[in-house]
Amino acid sequence: MVAANQNSEVVFKNVAKGAYSKKTHTVILKDCSLNVEAGKLTVLIGPSGCGKTTVINLIAGYERPDHGEVLMDGQPVSGPNWERLVVFQEAALFPWLTCYENVMFGPVARKAISREEAHRQTMMLLNRVGLSDFRDKYPMQLSGGMQRRAELARALINKPRVMLMDEPFRGLDAMTRKLMQEYYLGLFEETGCTNLFVTSELEEAIILADKLLVMTNKPSKVKKAIDVDLPRPRDWGMAASERYLEIKAEALELLHAEAIKASAASDKAEIDLAVGFEKLKTARG
Amino acid sequence: MQFQRKFVNWSLVRKILSMVIFILFWTILVQFIDYFHQIPTPKAVFLAIFELPVPVVLKNIGISFFRVLGGFFVGVLIGFPVGVAIGYSRILNHLIFPSFEMARPIPPIAWIPLTVLFFINFESQAIFLTFYGAFFPIVYNTMGGISEVDICLPRAAMSFGVGKKLMLWKVILPAAMPQVFTGMKLAMGVAWILVVAAEMMSNKGGMGYYVWYNHAVMDYPHVVLAMGIIGLCGAICSVGIGVVGNYFTRWQRLV
Repeated sequence: MVAANQNSEVVFKNVAKGAYSKKTHTVILKDCSLNVEAGKLTVLIGPSGCGKTTVINLIAGYERPDHGEVLMDGQPVSGPNWERLVVFQEAALFPWLTCYENVMFGPVARKAISREEAHRQTMMLLNRVGLSDFRDKYPMQLSGGMQRRAELARALINKPRVMLMDEPFRGLDAMTRKLMQEYYLGLFEETGCTNLFVTSELEEAIILADKLLVMTNKPSKVKKAIDVDLPRPRDWGMAASERYLEIKAEALELLHAEAIKASAASDKAEIDLAVGFEKLKTARG
Repeated sequence: MQFQRKFVNWSLVRKILSMVIFILFWTILVQFIDYFHQIPTPKAVFLAIFELPVPVVLKNIGISFFRVLGGFFVGVLIGFPVGVAIGYSRILNHLIFPSFEMARPIPPIAWIPLTVLFFINFESQAIFLTFYGAFFPIVYNTMGGISEVDICLPRAAMSFGVGKKLMLWKVILPAAMPQVFTGMKLAMGVAWILVVAAEMMSNKGGMGYYVWYNHAVMDYPHVVLAMGIIGLCGAICSVGIGVVGNYFTRWQRLV
């Protein structure tokens, strides 16, 4: 099956990271410690622009921390590697390759397995994500949801130890998004691979997560880790359960507090969260 | 469900109408406004087709094509690697780009007198000029295409284990291809401008010379006709590049 061979954990120890240019100097992460547990689905949520993508980039090895350590299974992360794969915000399939060639890309580039074996696994994965009939289509010929599924397959064929999902379903329409979330849940529950999922949508966060990490505003750190102890396999029916609503209220309270702090900056996304919180309070009496 | 069939292709009718209006406008201008009475009428230009010295014109077309394509291919051969180099390497960019920026605002036609110093023979002068004209659009567009590749693509490839050496070949160049071909189309246009200008200034044949010759003997219907032929040649070249470009960037056009 598409199972990962081994799960790894990722640990941040007092990580600091800034963005520097000639004129500005912004601290994005400061004293940020977090733990992505092996074989679990950890969701990172926080106000927009709080450095969630920076966390992903640090784990993927695209950026280095200014201070502190990013460790995978106790070893410092030293650069990009197929063991830590990112599914990007915007679809990052190679547009000049067909769906099939895209999925084959990793194993062929590394010469990890023979071409026949790569072909066999590619066909299996394309089948698994429901794209067998679209194997010879170019990414621009696929719908948004299909592109994300192809990208999932392109990552999974490498049997990564950690999957890093950087708001992967952003920009999809509501129905496709819901389908993709269910789809992704199914894949995760099947593979049990370590996953870090970044999002700014609370409902998506709770329904997916084993553990919810709520981030603060910049300079960011993890404000609180909430265990999401809803049973698996998950489905959207659980969104009505008592426990779900408790978790949602708790997380909203945390995010709301951050939103108030940031209200001077009057970021729209944060105000939306605040409005959502008020609505929830009235709905629950 | 059956689509309703349209009996009149209105979009085609409008396009034909556009041309009819153009020719009508031209005729009115020449016939009724005294100031323009020396300009040949569309009818005179049309009749000139039958007096066209076909072998001479074909020979001149061939000569111009040779000069344009010669310069263009040298331009691609040198301009493309240079564009890749300064788009990909920051160090090479800093070393090369500023001097290009200095040369670029000079209209290539202004180089014509100087080329006489560089090259004795007219053929090499003409090819140098078309090369020079083609060079900058190719360099600039190749550079632009490469520096604007979405960072996610090389990053993803890096994660999959593509090393620095293969990155250019496997990721950067394919991603930059659409803009490279845009550059080539522009380059071809500039090459035709330059070849005509250069040929007008000499007596070594080519369509520019043919236009100038007819101007000298005051055969204006043939001047206009030759202008049309030059335009047609340019369009053929542009379509040719389009066909090759479509092959290399077919992933972009299939929807």
